[in-house]
Amino acid sequence: MPYTTGMDPERSVPVSLFFTCLADAFSPGVCHAAVEVLERFGATVRVPLSQTCCGQPAFNSGNRKEARAMARKFLGSFPDDGYIVTPSGSCAAMVKHGYPVLFRDEPRTLARAREVGERIHELSQFLVDVLGVTDPGSDFSGRVTYHDSCHLRRGLGVVEAPRKLLRAIPGVEFVEMEESDRCCGFGGVFSVKHPQISCRMTERKVERILATGAGTVTSGDLGCLLSIQGMISRYGYPVKAIHLAEILAGKPKGN
Amino acid sequence: MELDANAFARNSRKALSDKALQEALGRTTGRFMLHRAAAVAAFPGFEEARERASAIKMDVLAHLDAYLGRFVEEAEKRGVVVHVARNAAQAREIAARIARDEGVTLAVKSKSMAAEEISFNEALEGAGVTVVESDLGEFIIQLAGEAPSHIIAPAVHKTREEVSLLFERHLGEPRTDSIPELVGMARRHLRAKFLSAGMGVSGANFLVADTGSLVLVTNEGNGRMGAVLPRVHLAVVGIEKVIPRMADLPTFLRLLPRSASGQAISSYVSIVTGTKRAGDPEGPERMHILLLDCGRSAILEGKYREILKCIRCGACLNACPVYQSVGGHAYGWVYSGPIGAVLTPLLVGLPGAAPLPDASTLCGACAEVCPVKIPLPDFLLELRSDARDQGLKTPGEIAGMKGYAGVMKRAGLLEAIERIAGVLGQFFTKGKAIGGMPYPFSGWTERRDFPVPAAQPFRKQWKIRRGVTR
Repeated sequence: MPYTTGMDPERSVPVSLFFTCLADAFSPGVCHAAVEVLERFGATVRVPLSQTCCGQPAFNSGNRKEARAMARKFLGSFPDDGYIVTPSGSCAAMVKHGYPVLFRDEPRTLARAREVGERIHELSQFLVDVLGVTDPGSDFSGRVTYHDSCHLRRGLGVVEAPRKLLRAIPGVEFVEMEESDRCCGFGGVFSVKHPQISCRMTERKVERILATGAGTVTSGDLGCLLSIQGMISRYGYPVKAIHLAEILAGKPKGN
Repeated sequence: MELDANAFARNSRKALSDKALQEALGRTTGRFMLHRAAAVAAFPGFEEARERASAIKMDVLAHLDAYLGRFVEEAEKRGVVVHVARNAAQAREIAARIARDEGVTLAVKSKSMAAEEISFNEALEGAGVTVVESDLGEFIIQLAGEAPSHIIAPAVHKTREEVSLLFERHLGEPRTDSIPELVGMARRHLRAKFLSAGMGVSGANFLVADTGSLVLVTNEGNGRMGAVLPRVHLAVVGIEKVIPRMADLPTFLRLLPRSASGQAISSYVSIVTGTKRAGDPEGPERMHILLLDCGRSAILEGKYREILKCIRCGACLNACPVYQSVGGHAYGWVYSGPIGAVLTPLLVGLPGAAPLPDASTLCGACAEVCPVKIPLPDFLLELRSDARDQGLKTPGEIAGMKGYAGVMKRAGLLEAIERIAGVLGQFFTKGKAIGGMPYPFSGWTERRDFPVPAAQPFRKQWKIRRGVTR
């Protein structure tokens, strides 16, 4: 067994994958990569197929009625026990912190939301804190810099886990960018309502990324990468935005 | 100050294309942030002080009437006349009456955001009083005929070149790019005003209930000079500024300068307690404190009470990437940045400032630096929800949200739409990123490409690969 894990290899860990609607539609590779890494460390991955969207865009824009409908659907889509893991800090934070706000006047749903919130983890957090992974066993190579997604860092308090995993990849030269914890400007609905401000912020983020000389920028949230890769692609900058799950999985295998 | 918050989108676009503003903003907010981080790192008790300050403020807000009562009692014992204004119009009336009754024709004023709320200068000028701003930044923007764009650095949007131009035009000073020279010019000009003014006007950072004192935290000494030199001192202060005891002051003094400018302590901390007593070498013969409600007691009753914990340090502005991008004027009223995005709608009503709560990515940088732990992102979210309840959302947004929520009700429907989008997307773009999207997403792709939906969504791929259907 080439990988180190703190878990007993005989005991499989049941995990439900919350694959996120964004990755589902735009980057299925991220979901496959998450499954691959989880299975690598002994998790039995189940993908509840009735899940859709956690409702964050509606919640963040103040449309709570719609957000509540989606949140209810989400809570009903996942089993009553086992871990829930997602390759998104933002979506995990929504379930953990947003749902209790949405259901503050509905004690029964609130209890369910809190219980589900307890079981939900972002991928890198789960690997490091729950499975005790120290080496992700990835064959990814190159100079990599990491952007802290706001909701992963400040929402879930996950700062070190992704860095630990990246540093442990033998082929990866990890470099910190300046202002790694500064918002990339995506902000979901914000990027639609205030595209110019959003672009200005993404511009500054991309400048910091380019200054590291890294060939790859990664992050725990697809939203940030959408905005960052969008600008990289428009201007043809010599760097690629790749989701953390795909780097942890290793060289791309299929889409 | 005139309200222009509903023009946030237009104002922010203007700000983004203003080169001088962009340069000034980048320089100053970056410096403030670096200094703050260093000051906080050098003070191990910072987190503890934050907790304590927040708890003290929560206690004050729970018993505000009692603490204010005590403050008024103690201040009056020491010769202070205390006035209370329910709203801005009443505050202006009281301020003008004080100036008239005291026979004042020239007033020197130090920085006060509360005074901006009530358009204090216009009120006094209406009563025939000349008001000279004595804070360097305020002095500069008064010459320019502008409003402050930052809570503690009102002229943060001005470059030294612009300041020198203003001094040339209004004070007849020669052009210079030396900041010490510019400061010297302002000092010479202001010194004469200090010596001849009949009234000094200030705000206050804290009102101390058990001693009836007001506390001024400044770096230029102008606040203290205005409070002791002129015959009359008038302080304009929001009712939430009261703290219970003088013994609580050190906790706040540990937080305020560090959060504001990254200083361990500001150059001046003045504790002003009552009028000049027999034997005092200096001090005002008459002292008035004008307490402003102006919407605060209404906030106190509701779910946003904690916003009144704010000590106006400006740290949330410096930390906010949106403020850093557009500056303070874009917010269209006295308060800008995250605190403005919450406080302005609460003080002037959400219909008058509806776009402000949307002016944030909810990145949380503000809450991380707030010295009194105000949950600013939570309040922004709450206000956005209020906007929906108050009918302030566009029909387009609501229709869009309803449609999106409708699709998300059924995974099968979502998958069908994703597959159609995937096929069409791949067909039209041949797999390349999308360079232009239709309204309302056109802005997104102005300087960014948008990804093409996958030919097959993950859900479908999973079903095929693993041979599962549910």
